[in-house]
Amino acid sequence: MADAPRPGSETLIGSDVSIKGEMSFDGSMRIEGKVEGKIASKGKISFGQGAQVVAEVSVGEAKIEGTFKGNLTAANRIELAATAHVMGDVRSTKLVIAEGATFVGNCHVSPDSLKQVEKSEFVTPVAATPIKK
Amino acid sequence: MSKEAARRLIFCPRCDARQEVSKVTKSTSCPGCHRNILTSDVEINEYCAKIEMWTAGIVTVGKKGTLIAEVRAESVVVKGGEIKGPVTSRGPVTLEKGSRVFGNITAPSLCIVESQHVVGMIVTGPRAAELLAEIEAGVVSKPPPPQGKSPQPAKVA
Repeated sequence: MADAPRPGSETLIGSDVSIKGEMSFDGSMRIEGKVEGKIASKGKISFGQGAQVVAEVSVGEAKIEGTFKGNLTAANRIELAATAHVMGDVRSTKLVIAEGATFVGNCHVSPDSLKQVEKSEFVTPVAATPIKK
Repeated sequence: MSKEAARRLIFCPRCDARQEVSKVTKSTSCPGCHRNILTSDVEINEYCAKIEMWTAGIVTVGKKGTLIAEVRAESVVVKGGEIKGPVTSRGPVTLEKGSRVFGNITAPSLCIVESQHVVGMIVTGPRAAELLAEIEAGVVSKPPPPQGKSPQPAKVA
């Protein structure tokens, strides 16, 4: 039987590790190395200063200190440290950016920003009825 | 106090031409584009709708302030108020807790304390202006859109 993650424990991807593919985790994860692909979780993720991440990320909470390229969705909070280098779109309910961070991309931060994503995924547009001559 | 100390350097928000003015100057004429420049700091504590709010000073939006305009300033501080419109700053942009900004932000330095309403494109960092110019020119490719299942439109019989 798989053990539940201990409170306070953190999965660490070291600076000498390079991963390509899809990742999911419970609890929290810290990335110091290179990651390319897709990351999905309800937990907390943090990218260290040396991290180089090119991914589609959907998590509960995110803290970025390194380089990140891609789209980031966090249910609770996104925090960009002064050393962060972010290129891509972010979507969350709360955003904190420290002075000195580099960020280029679209930003959608509002209490209902995630609801809008869910809605748009499930709404099927109705095709226009052709005009009968 | 010497006269030298009572002067400050300003940049035209339209053409970036620089000139030295007295610290007490409220407005002046730009030597580059020959248009009037507001040089004083602006504080908004109520509803204010304008086409443009261009100043060589600091724009401050108070808690009860709502500024609807294209903002260009030396520095922008939102103390819990709201800005609707694009914000371009030569210096730092600071959004304090509870501030709301609906519009693109371009600034060399952006500090968001904890905001719950920021909608728009943000270009910030030491190379903000260069990056924006590169994006507009199509040199820097933006990251691809999310690869979610896009709904297909229903076929019409």
